[in-house]
Amino acid sequence: MSGPGLRRGDILAVAFLFSSPAHAQTTTTSPAPDTVSVSIYRAPDRGRDEAMQLNWLRGFALVTETRRVSISAGDGVIRFEGVAGGILPESAIVTGLPDGVVEKNQDANLLSPASLLGASTGRRVNIRRTVRATGKVSEQEAIIRSGPGGQVVLQTAEGIEALRCSGVPETVVYDALPEGLSAKPTLSVRTRSARAVTTTVTLSYLADNFDWQANYVATIGADGKSLDLFGWVTLASADETSFPRAQAMVIAGSVNRDRNRSPKPYQESSISLSCWPQGTTSDIYAVPPPPPAAPEPMMEAMAMDMVVTGSARAPAVMRMKAMTVKQEELGDLKLYRVPEPVTVAAKAQKQVALLDKANVPVKLVWRTMVYGGEAQPVGILMRAKNKVADGLGLPLPAGKVAVYQGGMLIGEGGVNDKAIGEEVEIEVAQSPSVIATAVVQVKGQVTLTVTNANPYPVAFEAKLDGDKLSGFSAKARRKDGVWLWETVVPANGNMVLSYTDKDV
Amino acid sequence: MRAIMLLPLLFAAPAFSQSAQGDVSVTIYNNNLALVQDVRQTALPSGRTTVEFPDVSAQIRAETVTLNGCDFGIVEQNFDYDLLSPSALMQKAVGQVVTIVRTNPANGQETREQAKVLAANGGVVLQIGQRIEVLRDDGLPVRVIFDRVPPNLRARPTLSVTLQSEKAGTRPLTLSYLTPGLGWKADYVALFDESAGKIDVQGWITLTNNSGTTYSNAETLLVAGQVGEGQQNYQYQQQRQRGGMIKPGTETANRAQLGDFYLYPIKERTTIAQAQQKQVSFLDVGGAPATKAYEYRNGWLGTQDEAQSAATVLRFSTSRDGGLGDALPAGTVRVYIRDAKGQPQFIGENNIGHTPMGSALGLKTGEAFDVKVRPVVEKRERIGTYRWRTSMRYTLTNARAAPVVVDLIQNGLDNYYDDTRIESESLKSERRSSDEAVWKVTVPANGEAVVTVVFDTRY
Repeated sequence: MSGPGLRRGDILAVAFLFSSPAHAQTTTTSPAPDTVSVSIYRAPDRGRDEAMQLNWLRGFALVTETRRVSISAGDGVIRFEGVAGGILPESAIVTGLPDGVVEKNQDANLLSPASLLGASTGRRVNIRRTVRATGKVSEQEAIIRSGPGGQVVLQTAEGIEALRCSGVPETVVYDALPEGLSAKPTLSVRTRSARAVTTTVTLSYLADNFDWQANYVATIGADGKSLDLFGWVTLASADETSFPRAQAMVIAGSVNRDRNRSPKPYQESSISLSCWPQGTTSDIYAVPPPPPAAPEPMMEAMAMDMVVTGSARAPAVMRMKAMTVKQEELGDLKLYRVPEPVTVAAKAQKQVALLDKANVPVKLVWRTMVYGGEAQPVGILMRAKNKVADGLGLPLPAGKVAVYQGGMLIGEGGVNDKAIGEEVEIEVAQSPSVIATAVVQVKGQVTLTVTNANPYPVAFEAKLDGDKLSGFSAKARRKDGVWLWETVVPANGNMVLSYTDKDV
Repeated sequence: MRAIMLLPLLFAAPAFSQSAQGDVSVTIYNNNLALVQDVRQTALPSGRTTVEFPDVSAQIRAETVTLNGCDFGIVEQNFDYDLLSPSALMQKAVGQVVTIVRTNPANGQETREQAKVLAANGGVVLQIGQRIEVLRDDGLPVRVIFDRVPPNLRARPTLSVTLQSEKAGTRPLTLSYLTPGLGWKADYVALFDESAGKIDVQGWITLTNNSGTTYSNAETLLVAGQVGEGQQNYQYQQQRQRGGMIKPGTETANRAQLGDFYLYPIKERTTIAQAQQKQVSFLDVGGAPATKAYEYRNGWLGTQDEAQSAATVLRFSTSRDGGLGDALPAGTVRVYIRDAKGQPQFIGENNIGHTPMGSALGLKTGEAFDVKVRPVVEKRERIGTYRWRTSMRYTLTNARAAPVVVDLIQNGLDNYYDDTRIESESLKSERRSSDEAVWKVTVPANGEAVVTVVFDTRY
């Protein structure tokens, strides 16, 4: 078991390691994990109905890999290639080595034109020049004397020259790859072993650029009193590394994370102007078409007819059958395990069923808030109890809820993490047909009128906020620190409440 | 040679010539949101299989996808957005062998070599034989040829669903999802006949598709309402909802409804092309009663240096009796009147929110050239420690050849200080609310009228 994290000094050690390739140690490369599990944590600061931005995911993952490696006796380096690009090397834990780990390094020193040149300073390379007019190619040996901070100085048989200052196409050709430059994100550990051994090593680390959420599909029955609830686990990876056949898990709840991170070593990768594929057809951004111009008023235009009555269409959401994740307790968190291995692919989003509950009793409520004699637009609320007796009774991780009725979307809202026993309340839409109007008729006298243009009655609630309310013309009660007026507005009717608010 | 062989194949690919969409229905909401339902006849083998769904909205909200059908269960849904591009192609080729073709700059002669891609970080490092070089480092022409497209790279973000199929056979799969990029609003053309006191109103639905995808032969339904995400913009919503509404109605229109929302189905199937704007008619009412009114609102007890134009307001109702007899989805009302030659001319426009049937509307269409009001504070006297007497004179002028009635409104009567009283007035006012008093002033043709009011205020 190694220490808890990479210390600042270890970054220096990285540089030291690469500048002394002749070190007496053997290097073992493990190209990919044998088994891998990925546990994804939700972005802590992302709101319940804030969408994931697939190219910039703010959650993270714990990646646990096992790899079969052979190490020889003495000092050695094991290179774990194919780790997540967003790896936090300070979080890496390596177990299974017989004599432990001497040090861990993340090779930020990626193989690139610049690192190649940098690592070749003081070495013998070849300069290849091509004459444009004749196509004649000539090669010449050279030693790189300085570089690659934008300017490279060479020593050739003819003297000291500067690279690419000649006006002749020229490039450096290397005889071999310097050691320690890796093409892909790589974590390496220095080990010391008394004997040669083949062992299974477990490597685990945290990595940025993952996220997940729940997505619920609620289908309200025709009576408006119950719903079928289907939930998805939606997980996404914006990482460059794919994890095939991974044990995938997501974790609900909040874990504390420290904002202080070891800064990742920065490294220049391209040399000045010359790198492929920049400046080619790949970099042409598509220009979106301009929005269409506003329409001219058409007094006598041709048009399709609208039918006045609509026909019911096939339900958008029928009952789906799906493989469902298994919920486990994990301390004070909830863990959802995908029951079979799946591929957590690079730059991809995946959905696996979370839950499927039928006939959950639900109540629809129309609600406004009144403060200082101003009424807010009336929202449509869906209210349910997260209890077994009420058809639910299971932990509900935070996410978006899409609400359907009669085959059509009637609302969308968000839910926070809800434990068993909590009341779940989701504002799903704004009503165009139920309108609340507050008027201060006489100083301090508020008249709240709610009108209902629907052909059915609606359960209505007004939260009346203010410190000096009194004299309600109908029953109002205190709830959650405000006055609450509950009533039923009859079909095509209205209800009026008047009260005194000394502050208006 | 291989590259030349590939080209005809590529262009013959059916994906470029026809859409993979099936029986499509599109339900469009007002707030840049649509529900797309697409029934595709799909052949499934027995057992586990992965089905890809091309030609979905380019802006699909992949997390909202649901798939229904018979005799299968869903294992997982995937949305891959690792897109095929030259850099992605090169990234994925790391560790693999590609062909490079160097062109001699002088004589155009081509030289082919096999190269192993060692890294693609800011530039491409190649191993050619035993030597290492950087691709196109010297700027000379080099083509890179790849054998194939790596499996995970897509031309467009791709939705795929892994299914466990209970039996083999073709069956309808119903794919539904939400997408932004589709929206609609109402546009009204109101032709006002002032002398008859009537309006003719035509309602048009303007539907726009910027979702990046064409929906072919789609059954289209428009829903008058904002679902979800409305909470984020309360202030704006409130303004829109109240736009011009004097009194909300409680009548139910004779239209299909889903919950609180009215539905506007388009009768025939239609193709909603990408970047297209489509207009269809949904309302045509003639001869509904309407009146023109003038309104002037003085925000506080202050003087205006110059006479200010009164607003021209068009008042009408959406009631069954004496009105348009329909609910009006949110949109823009453009008002026209006929000129001396009988041609309709535009006199102004305003927005309305979703308006139930039975509502009273007053839309400000512009400012009257000939009808003006000048409020003046004539005198302020202190009558107590905290009490003042403010004498206001409002001069209303009318340069029209007919008398007009102006609703003169004084606001700001209880903005921060309460208990503003009207001590005396030359014309009886109506106190609409604690903050607002209204005088209905008749101004004679080519004449003027004066209203004087004395307020007892606390400031």
